[in-house]
Amino acid sequence: MKIIYALFAAAFAALAIVPFAAPWLQFVLTIAIAKGFAAVGVALLLRAGLISIGHAMFYAAGAYTAAFIVLWSGISDLFVLLIASTLVTAAIGALVGAYLVRYRAIFFAMLNLAVSMVFFALLSKLYGITGGTDGLRVPVPTVLGTTLTKAGFDIVLFYVALALMAIIAGLGVQFLKSPLGHAVGAIHTNEVRLEYLGVSAWSVLLIAYTISAALAGLGGAIAAVSIGHVLPEYAYWTESGHLVLTAVLGGIGGVAGPFIGSIFLEIVHTVAVGVAHNAWNLIMGATLLLVIFFLPQGLYGLVTKSADKTSSAKLGENKS
Amino acid sequence: MKHIVRTAGTLMASLVLATQAMAQDKPEQIDVGVFTFTSGAPAAYGQPGAQGAELMVDLINAAGGIDGVPLRATIVDEAQGAEGVIAEYRRLAGETSYQVMIAALSSSNCLALAPVAEQMQMPTIGWNCDTHQLFLDQQLDYTFRPNGNTIPEFVAYVAYLLQVNPDIERVAIINPDYAFGHDAAEIVKAAFRAFKPDVEIVAELFPSLGASSYQTEVSRLSAARPDAIFSNLWGADLENFVRQAQPRGLLTQSQTVLALGETILQRIDLPDGVIVGMLGDGYWLTPHAQANEDTVAFAEEYSNRFGEYPVFPTMKMANSFMVMKAAYEAAIEANDGEWPSRDEIAAALEGLETATFTGTARLREDNDGYVDQVIGVTGPSETYDFSVITNMVRYDGEALMAPLGEDPIAWIETLTPEFLETLPEPGSYN
Repeated sequence: MKIIYALFAAAFAALAIVPFAAPWLQFVLTIAIAKGFAAVGVALLLRAGLISIGHAMFYAAGAYTAAFIVLWSGISDLFVLLIASTLVTAAIGALVGAYLVRYRAIFFAMLNLAVSMVFFALLSKLYGITGGTDGLRVPVPTVLGTTLTKAGFDIVLFYVALALMAIIAGLGVQFLKSPLGHAVGAIHTNEVRLEYLGVSAWSVLLIAYTISAALAGLGGAIAAVSIGHVLPEYAYWTESGHLVLTAVLGGIGGVAGPFIGSIFLEIVHTVAVGVAHNAWNLIMGATLLLVIFFLPQGLYGLVTKSADKTSSAKLGENKS
Repeated sequence: MKHIVRTAGTLMASLVLATQAMAQDKPEQIDVGVFTFTSGAPAAYGQPGAQGAELMVDLINAAGGIDGVPLRATIVDEAQGAEGVIAEYRRLAGETSYQVMIAALSSSNCLALAPVAEQMQMPTIGWNCDTHQLFLDQQLDYTFRPNGNTIPEFVAYVAYLLQVNPDIERVAIINPDYAFGHDAAEIVKAAFRAFKPDVEIVAELFPSLGASSYQTEVSRLSAARPDAIFSNLWGADLENFVRQAQPRGLLTQSQTVLALGETILQRIDLPDGVIVGMLGDGYWLTPHAQANEDTVAFAEEYSNRFGEYPVFPTMKMANSFMVMKAAYEAAIEANDGEWPSRDEIAAALEGLETATFTGTARLREDNDGYVDQVIGVTGPSETYDFSVITNMVRYDGEALMAPLGEDPIAWIETLTPEFLETLPEPGSYN
């Protein structure tokens, strides 16, 4: 298990030098981490056996909340934006969730899809408020009262996102170990038994749903200030599908999985678009098929497997 | 200690100077990023644009490149969404060989890229996006649009319609359900209020992008009995709508205006007398275009290579390359023959006026462009086996633009019916 922490530390250090080693990757990775938050949210529900094909709505809600706060109130501090967007999205998640967590399986998936498409339609049609399909511009936020250039802000944002990723990953591991974390998994394995233990499945799921929405909102807010423009397409169902794919591809076994999946997908995307403007969709599709066929546990499974192999090999050496 | 600091400072400064000097050495090759749709429904416009870019690069290189340096275009697919488009823009802008970007087709992508262009100080030529919001309330120093925008485009269609058909009273609108369609509807309604206030809008329909059936809309439009139907549907949507409306007699029952109809002339047999046009002046069969032997040669070569004649997105793309070439040449001249930096190219683009394949492109102070607007009606051709645009008019681009700094919609409202008399007559440009 120690090897896996060493692996993560090395990966984290590699990410931290990106702004200097490969500046063009910085934006790609900021977006990848932002989407990673949303994918962690989706993965949390997947542990409960529920697929949400509508989580892009919370991602978009976070993004639009950040935009509205800057445009309407004039408050433009990065940390205020991130915290407020997360809280607002959590509130929306609790509201929508109170109704949706009563459903299971295909009904849960489809209702999430339906609500998210209503949200998408509102974003594109409330022209006077949301700017319609042309979206809204988000000015460069200040950081703790300091006004930065966009380039300077982007570097700060990248490290803030990186730090948040580490914090969320740490909290996530603790959450999964907690009674509540186990209860989420128990909904998938045996919901009736959970109820007999005196734990309300509805409350457990509502908490999980609210957390997952809040994570997506945080990701959306990071994306909004990074891109500098919010668009209804963030809430479109293909984005939701992308998030599910990211979570499954990365692996839902641990909190790191969705982040690994997200970074992997964004980099493959960037490389594919650079290599072949006519065939990038094909390259993406082929890569996904390969991962799904050969790594059923996701990319995270690959990491844990190789880590296990090394540690068991070492154990073997010690024994002999 | 001071000494070391000073030495380090000098070293840094000379390093910076050296890299700057290197950036200004004549490169082996000029790279240009071209952002367009090569997949998805908008590729109906994006692909002719991409093909136009490919042919333009070959033609410019065959003629010796720009100041002897060959050109290479990197096509980027806009269908990947704003995040992907920005990521790719940033990646390309990070390489010094890219000094100009030609972006983008979609208005939302142009709006999203504008702040990135400012940040990376990358001269960016908007080749097709035409939302009038782009230069509204923001000062952009690196985004240039040597093209028309929604204001002159759609005011012109109302003017033309009233010039050929002064008696119309009932008008229906059918536009795509996104910002472009809604903006156009606002502009068309404002123009009617200004030119003929008693016109009644009897139906306003916004079918969703990529709709497969237009039967409901056709029924609504037939039942509303409008004297005229205005539409800025485009691409596959337009083709689909026309194929379903034509058998039901809609296009002949009312005077139909297809604002972006030029692109389907070669694909569908439209009845005669439909008002069609394009965005700007990018029609390869106007007197201006036909008088320019380069344009004729371009159209012939395009037809040989791709199996059909260019459509207006092709011409807009080709014209954007001409603007870029003119800016490079002006910057090189201003620089006494030395290779220009990005900033020097941006400076050369300021207020640039250059001849294009189909007319003239002129940039005004806010970097928005003046381009003439060409409109006509469908009619038979003696040379080609598809309909062409006849009874054309060429409106001066500047006359239809709101003055600098004025709110465009408010400006349209200030126009009067007498304004129409100042415009050239339909059929005056053939």
